Amino acid sequence: MVRIYKFLLAALLSCAGLTLADAQSTGCPPRPSAGTVVNNPLDIYSSNGVLTANFTFKSELAAYLEECYIYQSGTGPVEAPTLRLNPGDQLVLNLTNRLSYLPPSAPAQKPAMGPMASMPGMTHDPCSGGTMAATSTNIHFHGLNIPPVCHQDEIINTDIENTDPPFEYSFQVPTNDAPGMYWYHPHLHGQATLQVNGGAAGALIVGGIEKVAPQVGGLPERVFIIRQQFTNPNSWIAGPYQLTLNYQPAAAPASASPIIQMQPGAKEFWRVANSSSQAFLTLAVLFGKTAQPLEIIALDGIPVTAPYSVNSITLPPAGRAEFVMTGPPAGQAASFWQTGFNTGPIGNPNSAQELAVIQATTSAKEPPSLPPAPAKPAASGPQRFAGLAGLTATTQRKIYFAEATNGTNGPTEFFITVDGQTPKVFSMSDPPAITTTVGAVEDWTVENRTGETHAFHIHQIHFLFMAISGVAQADPQLRDTVVVPAWSGSGPYPSVTLRMDFRDPEIAGTFVFHCHVLDHEDAGMMAKIQVNPN
Amino acid sequence: MRVIVLQTALGFLLTGMASAGSTVGSFLVTNNDVSTGFGSTATFYSIGANGAVSDKTVVSTNGIGIAGGFFAASRVAVVPQGSDVCVFASNAASADIAGISAGSHTLTGDFPASSTDTGSGNGVGLAANANYLYATFSSSSTIATFQIRTGCVLSFVSDVSAVGLNAGLVGGMAIHGNIMVVTYGDGSIESFNISNGVPVSNDDAENSAGSVNDHLPNGVDITEDGHYAVFGDASTVTTLEVSDISSGKLTPTVSYDVGPSWNSGTVRLSPDEALIFVTNDSGGGITAVLFDKTTGKISPGCTSGPLKGFYSSWAYAGAAAMQLPTAAGGLLYVPEFGLNGFSSIGIVQFTFSGTACTLAEVSGSPIVDNSDPSALLSIGVYPVRPF
Repeated sequence: MVRIYKFLLAALLSCAGLTLADAQSTGCPPRPSAGTVVNNPLDIYSSNGVLTANFTFKSELAAYLEECYIYQSGTGPVEAPTLRLNPGDQLVLNLTNRLSYLPPSAPAQKPAMGPMASMPGMTHDPCSGGTMAATSTNIHFHGLNIPPVCHQDEIINTDIENTDPPFEYSFQVPTNDAPGMYWYHPHLHGQATLQVNGGAAGALIVGGIEKVAPQVGGLPERVFIIRQQFTNPNSWIAGPYQLTLNYQPAAAPASASPIIQMQPGAKEFWRVANSSSQAFLTLAVLFGKTAQPLEIIALDGIPVTAPYSVNSITLPPAGRAEFVMTGPPAGQAASFWQTGFNTGPIGNPNSAQELAVIQATTSAKEPPSLPPAPAKPAASGPQRFAGLAGLTATTQRKIYFAEATNGTNGPTEFFITVDGQTPKVFSMSDPPAITTTVGAVEDWTVENRTGETHAFHIHQIHFLFMAISGVAQADPQLRDTVVVPAWSGSGPYPSVTLRMDFRDPEIAGTFVFHCHVLDHEDAGMMAKIQVNPN
Repeated sequence: MRVIVLQTALGFLLTGMASAGSTVGSFLVTNNDVSTGFGSTATFYSIGANGAVSDKTVVSTNGIGIAGGFFAASRVAVVPQGSDVCVFASNAASADIAGISAGSHTLTGDFPASSTDTGSGNGVGLAANANYLYATFSSSSTIATFQIRTGCVLSFVSDVSAVGLNAGLVGGMAIHGNIMVVTYGDGSIESFNISNGVPVSNDDAENSAGSVNDHLPNGVDITEDGHYAVFGDASTVTTLEVSDISSGKLTPTVSYDVGPSWNSGTVRLSPDEALIFVTNDSGGGITAVLFDKTTGKISPGCTSGPLKGFYSSWAYAGAAAMQLPTAAGGLLYVPEFGLNGFSSIGIVQFTFSGTACTLAEVSGSPIVDNSDPSALLSIGVYPVRPF
């Protein structure tokens, strides 16, 4: 009898686009315990130019709220694997949303985004909006320079509800995109904080970096995803949190730190994503208390113009850094740290925190290595954003972050405004704040008029980070997310100057720019830009 | 400068008159509504004829606060009572009101409302006339009514629910005669009839004109004749709104953007009603705008810019209190919500030449209030403004 019911249930679910495994699975795969060895996330690779993956998105209220992308590997369910593709490859990602968690303090369900969203008896079209509830979702492929259209990288109207059949994302990694580290995460306006805090984030790595940075060829490759989880599992707004490293709590001294085991003195290539919802990180590798040199190879997925050495790396939420580090000799105490970041007079605390201890041991199993660098550098075709520094901007714009609040504890209205326009808390129905045309190259000055740090991010493109508060960068790099420093309370507002590259016709359409402190974005610090075809 | 000297002299004279029924001299009181472990207090200072404060006395409120909350909630009310002056200071977390005799600097009691009235989210705001004290509890979004009895004692009467049109919580509150006006911080405002003591909604809740531009009424004050309610908005510019309430109910507001300093969340009419002093709560300064009490129209005035220590020793400014109950009010006392362990009181001088005004911080400002561990948002003064 039970079998019959199971069969019938399976048939029903199949009609709804589900699998029995989805229905039977109760929650998220177990996450690693504190004080254990840190491993890379599972890699899944493209084959013959295509990577097809099926994710089920679920939630589970355990010690912390977990919101997990589940991939069924050959050995069982795995959370948020690393997607490995090459330029020109096709990603086909089928996302089945089965989120069930609703925060007790969540605001009332918002109205439908589109006219088709909630008509009784009609099939929901995820490309036409929806309820935007905490159980709805979508995915942003952060940093990829791909079209802002539904089923690719569109987040304004894409709303996948928890009763929808699997939703197919399908796009080609541009052949002229740089090899490097990108990442994927939910981006449903109003719900991004909750879902990213729950752990919904993973790496997407475009292969071939050893071809443009031969010094990384053959090096063992580590992938680290730094996330946040909130000590109050029902946390809806910013609150006390702990960082995690590949899902392992980094909460020393309250719990044992994650352990990175290396061969003594080994040189490794580390790829680190700040996938937290709101933490600004200053990363360092310490021997004892001494910061070690880190050779920067790429930032935000794009190789730097020339590798350079630093002792610490600042990453805003959503930022990535790829660097070469040399591990400690045997017997040397070593660790990987967030050394702290001052987010300004009214910013959230970003305290120093040990992320991992580094153990040099001959028994360490090094992670897989990158392919060796080619003997002769391959001739590369035209690269996206090529020559941007030497171009003259067609338009100059000033944009600013601002806040208005009812009190010290909020609620706060968050604004990102084009100078001259009326500050407006973002709504999905807003018209574009900026309209431009494919081919445009624009210089944007993004100002911070608040007492807390913000993180500027724009979808679909990278930009050249030209200056901070008017002081030119010695060697401008391409970024997709940058720190905009807090105002000190006197003097000019801090700013960053960014050269925006709208030359590629692939990015024509409407997309967003926003603060990547996700609770700021969720609360309205976002605006649209429309890039018209030329 | 001549104008100021005259103002001060006149103020001194009137201060003495205002104190005639009371043995209590001019004073300033702060509500240090600090969180668990610190001990909430009220700090009294004498105000000298020149506006200088001295003779600090700290009185425990025997309650627990939250060290923060809504800017528009005035956490202290000053009520003359015979020869004494009552000070009522709210305790947000313990959800009660401390009564203090200003004459003896003694606590007369802690007076709770109903068990469902809670303010631990964003504080408890107060407003009072001679007979009743009203308390806005921000977490339960309720307004409690207390009867003020002899000896600075409160008797709880009842409470009413007060929730904004957009689910906002009650924050700002002002009373005048038979009307109470409240703000919800969500763009909506509402008035209540208090002719029988207990507030009864006038069923006139409305979204303000400024709310379409995300300017949200927070602070509120009412003119002496009860003709206008004036609102200060949370916004990225200095925005005030005015509603004609001469009918006993709210009418649609008129919105005025009067300057670049942002977050104009609290407002105080000067005693002569020629000015409105606006605190730019998260801009760190004070703005004065010109007010026509006949027409209710507002025009730009002047701004102080950020006061000393903004974003280095303190982060937010609360509603300004005035030294004098006459003319332009004399010096302004600005609560400065501390960042590094202590709050402070900024002191600002307003001057008006007839064509232009200035707001400048006086030398010696701010006064560091080391009895207040970073919680100061509300200041009361005596003598109180007569309306």
